[in-house]
Amino acid sequence: MAYVAARGGEAAIERAEALYRRLLGPLDPGLVKGLEQALPHLLDRVMSEGSLYAPELAALALAQTGGDLYEAVLLLRAYRTTLPRLAYALPIEPEVLFTVRRVSAAFKDIPGGQILGPTLDYSHRLLRLGGLQSDVPPTVPEPVSAENCDFEPQQVPFVADWHRQNGLMPPRPTDPTPGPAIPDLTREPLLFPAPRAQRLQALSRADTGGVLALGYANMRGYGAIHPTVNEVRLAYAEVRLQHPATGAVFSAGRVRYAQAEVLTKFRPGPDGKPTLELGFAASLGWNEVKLIAAAMLDAAMDLPEPHPAHTEEFVLSHTEPVEASGFCIHYKLPHYVTFGSDLDALRKARAQAVAEQEASRSAEVTE
Amino acid sequence: MSHATPPNLEEQGRWLSVLARAEAEAVKAFTEKLLPELERQGLEVLENRMGLVMLPATDTAQGTRFHVGEVLVAASRVRLGGLEGYAVCLGRDLEQTLAIAILDAALQGGWHAERVRAFVEQQAAKQSAEDARLARQIAATRVTMETF
Repeated sequence: MAYVAARGGEAAIERAEALYRRLLGPLDPGLVKGLEQALPHLLDRVMSEGSLYAPELAALALAQTGGDLYEAVLLLRAYRTTLPRLAYALPIEPEVLFTVRRVSAAFKDIPGGQILGPTLDYSHRLLRLGGLQSDVPPTVPEPVSAENCDFEPQQVPFVADWHRQNGLMPPRPTDPTPGPAIPDLTREPLLFPAPRAQRLQALSRADTGGVLALGYANMRGYGAIHPTVNEVRLAYAEVRLQHPATGAVFSAGRVRYAQAEVLTKFRPGPDGKPTLELGFAASLGWNEVKLIAAAMLDAAMDLPEPHPAHTEEFVLSHTEPVEASGFCIHYKLPHYVTFGSDLDALRKARAQAVAEQEASRSAEVTE
Repeated sequence: MSHATPPNLEEQGRWLSVLARAEAEAVKAFTEKLLPELERQGLEVLENRMGLVMLPATDTAQGTRFHVGEVLVAASRVRLGGLEGYAVCLGRDLEQTLAIAILDAALQGGWHAERVRAFVEQQAAKQSAEDARLARQIAATRVTMETF
């Protein structure tokens, strides 16, 4: 590729940004606070793809870019590079997540029950036009009484454990890798085949739309995965750290965290007998569409001969939001040399065609 | 005067967790009141900065540990009467973490321990009540498919 450095136009660039800001409206703390409170799902998407859990900054990024998601994600990714990494938290232990939603499509009577949690999944998709005229009165969820509540959010069993207890799935191995030794694609390049840790990290920060498009292609038949959602779980996870002087373990706070598992066709297990296999994905923030599609793709990538659009290289390379959007919009930048070269080639080809036509005509006259 | 004994790690982990989750302004206001007396023990701020914490998670399919993303935090480290207080909170509030680090050192050294413990317990009760209320609201969304 050929690029040409462009100089000049500074004043126009400054005016262009000023005009952008004028049409966007002022950027102020009230706007940022309002976005942070009103749009948690959008913030989750920016934080997940930006790979940085910072609701206040995600709201600022959205306000600053007028809601351009790719720009907001880029701002967050760029900001994180300016900060030192102070520590590695202790790994999130799935068993102690503070679960607020856990549903399964596998079977109805799952251990712990189907917990709908905060969702609009089963509500009518109707615009509440009344909200344009007056305040919609807030609805307060009716809790079950303390005496009748046997629900422990930090003890919601995993559906996969039932499969394992019933011999339908091999036991889950334990991984003792300490935080600093876990493969980290923010510090090491993504090479294929990627370590599973890098694959899951890439999926957690992948572009929602990209993951959905590839996952949907698989669902429609461009692939061999016929999934059942084993479970989707929304939760709060503690960020657990160690006191540097005493070693005491404490929580610095909670983050929104979600994960999905999909069941695929039977596969031969370690003992040679057919077993169920799981695809998995997790992310910061709550984004169910992305996680279901990503868990499917995780399973698809493990197939011996995946569809070309579902190989690990294809999926992970094309769902990286900053690289993909950046590459796309770079085409707006000056490509004068490239295009000039194309024009040169075109003119030469046209001249050659004219010369050949004339030569052909001369030959006809001679004959 | 210090009544320092080696901290019970579980207890220390609890007070740091409770204070990190407590409302920041309440923690700052509480620490501010104790500060003139605590400063007499010799207070030194060793670290007070923002940074990132990498958060690993565990894959429930194959058990692999992986990095799910980074978390923005504020972190403070102080020395009070020769003891090291430490705090990390999500977000950017360095005054909040400084206040908690001072309380951490105060609790370790036994300075105003009774008042600080009472404050921690008050915050812990509030947080437990919030969690219990949320748990009961979540429980109300549990369905059996027969009635769904």
